[in-house]
Amino acid sequence: MRKKPIRITSLLLAGWLLVAFAGAASAAEFYLRADVRQLTMPDNTVVTIWGFALDADNNFATVDGTVTSPGPMLTVPVTDTTLTLHLKNNLPEPVSLVIPGQIATMTPVFFTDAQGRSRVRSFTAEAPASGGVATYTWTNFRPGTYLYLSGSHAAVQVQMGLFGGVKKDAATNQAYTGIAYDNEAILFLSEIDPALHAAVAGGTFGPGLAMTSTVDYAPKYFLVNGQAEYTMTGVVPTIAVGSRVLVRFLNAGLLTRIPELLGASMTTLSEDGNLSPYPTEKRNAIGLLAGKTLDVIVTPETGGVMMSLFDRRGYVSLGTANGGGTSTGQVIPGLPAPPTTGTVVQGGSGGGGGGGGGGGGCFINTLLN
Amino acid sequence: MNKAAKQAAIGLALVLMLLAGVIPVQAAITGLTGTAFDLVAREGYISTADGSSIYSWGYASGAGRMQYPGPTLIVNQGATIIVTLKNELPAPAGNVSIVFPGHAATASGGVAGKLTQEAPPGGVTTVTYTFTAANPGTYSYHSGTNVGLQVDMGMVGAIIVRPAGFDAMNPTAYGHADSQYTYENLFLLTEMDVPMHNAVASGIAAGAINVDTTAFFPVTWFINGRSAPDTMLADGVPWLPHQPYGAMAMMHPTDRVLLRLVGGGRDMHPFHHHGNNSLAIARDGKLLESAPGLGADLAVSDFTITVLPGGTVDAIFTWTGEKLGWDIYGHLVTDPLEPGEYAPDHGKPLPVQLPSDLEVTFGGQWSGSPFLGGGGSLPPGEGGLNPNGGYFFMWHSHNEKEMVNFDIFPGGMMTHVLIEHPSVMLMEGN
Repeated sequence: MRKKPIRITSLLLAGWLLVAFAGAASAAEFYLRADVRQLTMPDNTVVTIWGFALDADNNFATVDGTVTSPGPMLTVPVTDTTLTLHLKNNLPEPVSLVIPGQIATMTPVFFTDAQGRSRVRSFTAEAPASGGVATYTWTNFRPGTYLYLSGSHAAVQVQMGLFGGVKKDAATNQAYTGIAYDNEAILFLSEIDPALHAAVAGGTFGPGLAMTSTVDYAPKYFLVNGQAEYTMTGVVPTIAVGSRVLVRFLNAGLLTRIPELLGASMTTLSEDGNLSPYPTEKRNAIGLLAGKTLDVIVTPETGGVMMSLFDRRGYVSLGTANGGGTSTGQVIPGLPAPPTTGTVVQGGSGGGGGGGGGGGGCFINTLLN
Repeated sequence: MNKAAKQAAIGLALVLMLLAGVIPVQAAITGLTGTAFDLVAREGYISTADGSSIYSWGYASGAGRMQYPGPTLIVNQGATIIVTLKNELPAPAGNVSIVFPGHAATASGGVAGKLTQEAPPGGVTTVTYTFTAANPGTYSYHSGTNVGLQVDMGMVGAIIVRPAGFDAMNPTAYGHADSQYTYENLFLLTEMDVPMHNAVASGIAAGAINVDTTAFFPVTWFINGRSAPDTMLADGVPWLPHQPYGAMAMMHPTDRVLLRLVGGGRDMHPFHHHGNNSLAIARDGKLLESAPGLGADLAVSDFTITVLPGGTVDAIFTWTGEKLGWDIYGHLVTDPLEPGEYAPDHGKPLPVQLPSDLEVTFGGQWSGSPFLGGGGSLPPGEGGLNPNGGYFFMWHSHNEKEMVNFDIFPGGMMTHVLIEHPSVMLMEGN
């Protein structure tokens, strides 16, 4: 999840020139490798996924960086207006990159099928299979939260894991112009249908094969930030009453999810990077449709209350339910277990015995990692 | 839906009502009032309108029966609300809990769960939830334990917070005049994956529940815990002991009916109200206002409202017959206007010539007259289900597969509003 922006700015420019042209002459640039990885699910099932790795040496000379799905979260610096992504494709079929909501020159790829018909197979130019490379550029990059996705054979490649997030702020600690925040969290939801992954990895997916399409899509694993069993490792446990936490929701799965927050409200800012004309509406539950991003601000109003976030649609990995809340393998997507430690928030009562085994403090236990 | 099917649905409902000797009035919301509520998770079998029984879990009030949905809690803004929960479900059901979206609740007692404190089976341990009803509006409560399973099993209910200074004679939902209403109705929308319920029942008998909630596939749909046409029965009819809440709206022309829509299940449902657009004035208990105090200046006019699971929408519905192009009262031009009548259509005749009695098939709601409050001579045995000559408009899920009872149309997530002549007295509540 490290960001590695490379600013292409002339070091020869005098300081006043830099100030004058900042934002006009800089660009963020990343090197991504599409590749295969085996992931072990909570029930020890090994699933083959496709994902992206951030190339550490920025030249694809060596195979480095860990393949993840979602791929690395990319940050376009405030002063940069152009995003350039270099893609190296180690997968067995052509891959491309698109960012819905950002402007790029699109060059769809066509092919002629067995019946002589010209058909489109990609939204834009592809990196050829098994080692090909391609470069994509987005100019006038808009602030907000966006998904980057494969634009090739999307019904399969996106579900196999070829997606990630990219974000840009309008100004330092401002998600959009005039929308300030104190802290930030990213919740990236996705799903895995193990049967589909097994068929693609095993070469039994496609016309005339055992699995002919994704029509029987049936996800069994529900991932938050790439984890099928989300834990709170590294969570920032407390948020001061009155502070503003920006939460960026991204849904790369195919199901509608409904993040519901307990203990506070979410102020909806934007959808798909488009700022609401009245970013003031407060919600308990928000509709996170497939392929959508939502930015919200959470501001705890009451001290001593634990905040918890979960999927109100009730999708949990494996879905095994014995009725109890603590059964093995039971996870609540978007929502880890309550914190075992916590700090009393500023202004909070600090009284012990608060809900959920916390310390009575005000936690944003789910949001920050 | 076609007219014949609609007539059949209405007819079935009204036949049931007449057989029961009850009048379908639902102009106020039935629920529990106060500041302290004792809820108990219990099991039971709910009934669907096709005659089926579904094993379910729900919240009961004190020693009362399990009910679906749980008791509607009607409280006052600013009050400190204490809800206690015990768990009398059979042991394999495991722990249960309650969470209160939109309220900053604390919990004590019981055992720690993932979202809140939980009550283990046995019916002994009490969990206490406490919150301040800080803001007026429509809210829900539901299980915070194994949400995908327990919500589908029936563990969900509504909360209504009356605004400070609430005046029952001139009620508002949010204090502001934009939320003023004449009558209010709750529409808590849910669905059930019945095979999963059956698997849970089998699991309990076998000593362990093992169901896959990712395979969620609902097959029956409810408003306020009832499937149509039971939705049009009065509150508390004795033959639906676990489903006390009806969902039939009644009004006069010009009345403002407040629809309190609650997303109670796991799915979204497009609630489509015939007759007129409504104005959605609030979501999740928050008036749609661009700045505090401005009223519902961001209200949205629509005829299909989709409520998110865990969310709520408040909408104001009114109806006057405006722009129908004919006078719904059958006035002569020289007659006086009814209060609120759409004046440009005053005295305009019905633009069609009615067929003779020998040329039509009668529906039970045909009063013998096309005019509101009208009547006329009918052949023996015809009509009779609309004694006051009112107008029925269907309100239903516009995902039409949800208007069924186990694949049989019509049913499921469907009800009606009945608009009566101003001279007809509507009864409030039960």
